[in-house]
Amino acid sequence: MSLTRYGYRNAISGFFEFPTDNARRILPAGLEPVELHHGTSIFSMTVFDFTESEVGAYGEAVMSVIVVPLVKPGERLPKSAFYPYLVATTTRAAREHAIERWHLPHWMEDVEIAFEPQGNRLTAKVAADGAPVAEMAVGDYSWNPVSHLYQSFMRDGDKSYLASITMEGEQSEHEEETGRVRLHEHAFNKDLAVSEVYDVPFREIWMRNGAQTFQPLVQLETA
Amino acid sequence: MEAAHKKEERKSVFSDYDYSNFYYGAGDDPVNLLGPFREWYQEAKPNGYYLYSEPLSSAPATHVQVRNGKTGAVHDLLNLASYNYLGISYREEVKQAAIEAVNKYGLGASGSPILSGTFDIHEELAREVASFKAKDAAILFPTGYSANVGFISSIMRSGDTIFCDQYSHASIVDGAILAKSKTVFFRHNNPLDLERKLGGVRGKKLVVVEGVYSMDGDVCVLPEIVDVAKRHGARVLIDEAHSTFLFGANGRGVAEHFGLDQEVDFHLGTFSKSLGGQGGFVCGGRDLIDYVNAFGRSRFFSCNLAPPLVAGLRAGLAIVEGEPELRAKLWSNVAYMRRRFAEEGIDIGKSTSQVMPVLVNNDAKVFAVAEKIQDRGLYLQPVTYPAVPKHKSRLRISVSAAHTEEDLEQAVRVIASVLREEGICR
Ligand SMILES: Cc1ncc(COP(=O)(O)O)c(C=O)c1O
Repeated sequence: MSLTRYGYRNAISGFFEFPTDNARRILPAGLEPVELHHGTSIFSMTVFDFTESEVGAYGEAVMSVIVVPLVKPGERLPKSAFYPYLVATTTRAAREHAIERWHLPHWMEDVEIAFEPQGNRLTAKVAADGAPVAEMAVGDYSWNPVSHLYQSFMRDGDKSYLASITMEGEQSEHEEETGRVRLHEHAFNKDLAVSEVYDVPFREIWMRNGAQTFQPLVQLETA
Repeated sequence: MEAAHKKEERKSVFSDYDYSNFYYGAGDDPVNLLGPFREWYQEAKPNGYYLYSEPLSSAPATHVQVRNGKTGAVHDLLNLASYNYLGISYREEVKQAAIEAVNKYGLGASGSPILSGTFDIHEELAREVASFKAKDAAILFPTGYSANVGFISSIMRSGDTIFCDQYSHASIVDGAILAKSKTVFFRHNNPLDLERKLGGVRGKKLVVVEGVYSMDGDVCVLPEIVDVAKRHGARVLIDEAHSTFLFGANGRGVAEHFGLDQEVDFHLGTFSKSLGGQGGFVCGGRDLIDYVNAFGRSRFFSCNLAPPLVAGLRAGLAIVEGEPELRAKLWSNVAYMRRRFAEEGIDIGKSTSQVMPVLVNNDAKVFAVAEKIQDRGLYLQPVTYPAVPKHKSRLRISVSAAHTEEDLEQAVRVIASVLREEGICR
């Protein structure tokens, strides 16, 4: 079984409350949003600073909805699952690779991603077409080595795919509500009712000095 | 790096999992999650989850007999976990009333309250509760949970909007789900966020708050909430599960405490906390109660409260009305605990009530701390994620009027010594 590995220096994620109506507008049929409370689903933004991969070093921003994982008897239960509805990369090579191999939906131009560390906070700034798209800051807590299994669901035309992804590295995870996101009115954010995304993440995950490893893609039966 | 790698190897697959990981799972079979859950629970239970549901073999008084979930041994422990805030559940008058009712009525009501299950004492208890709360009428529910579910879903429908505090009790959330209304959560105890969320919403609106929040023991900022709700044409429901019979000059609750008894539209409470019994109620005008009687599904599709319980509740209510000194004793006990915790440098967050979270703020340690405290003679409950946010784990304490100052002092000393040993307080 051949695995695809992406080494990163930093990967920061914010989990934000947003209306389930909005989540359902984004999700294809067959995927259910995880609700934090009744009527409130989870939008997540993750920004990677990849240092090594088949396509070299690059930056990547992933906009996702947290969804119900697929559970199969005898298989390891994933920690959670997501549906990345928009991925943006800083290089064309990274984009073409991810589209071809993982069927991930992409912003079709290179974006600019800047990481700005400040004390125990890290801010990622994403710009597209020369205009700001999103700025997200997360803070750290205590650091622990982890190896977590996630599922990523993809839809490409009438085909559905599942990738099992292991995230390894040092992790800081907390719910201190110290982070922040600013989502700009920009075509990049057209799927979100931006004013209804709560701008303080209820959970912040920061991973550093680790690797993201994909198992081979699985094609699912589409309902 | 080598050491970190070894440490990681020792971790089991489920060491970073918690209840929330086993809630959702798509697949072909509804039982798919049972196996992974069992595997996790077998590991989690001896590591601390056994501290939940350890069986008591005595009344929930200030001292209880508890069977240790790990060793099976029964220990006498000082009880800081029960909701028996006024020590009423085991009072002689209460027990006697229940015994007499067993002799007269037998065990159960054997019917729905809207069919054959309403007895004379149900009507009497409802009248007495209404009179205590200074309302026209009251309606009884099988539990406080059922009161929220039944009341909210009896007056709200799909197309309406319910605004709940983000820390709302599950029964409020479940009521909103059953109502099929749009549900909007505002930041905890934050009238500004409520105002922002109410803005521009049309149609029927209900704001739901709690008198005292059960995980933090903080009191609702009711004046500001009511002001915002009124300005936006929303009705207000207050769940006084942890505050009826305790707050306010007459013990009616937090609404009375703030002088807002009339301004709040709907008053809900339970008999399971301060009265040490079971059951819930809603009070208000006659029209409201008649309507809820007709449409409160959780009530009328369930058997009515057992008559011996109702008799005990009436005796308990008589004690509350006849002995206001019980409330005074509770508040002096609360003041004592607050002062002593402050002296010991123990953080109880925003609590200003008889519910006190002793903040451990360390999810990895909270069970070990609770275990040590239990080994030194105290019975209290650890609370961890997902019941509270990550790293906000705590030990939840319920102060009772029945505690003596010696009880409370012993509790503070044990807690302080363990927290110090574990490096949680200075
Ligand atoms: C705020 C609140 N409402 C309702 C309930 C449910 O009450 P009962 O235990 O009577 O069902 C509780 C119980 O914990 C509560 O804390």
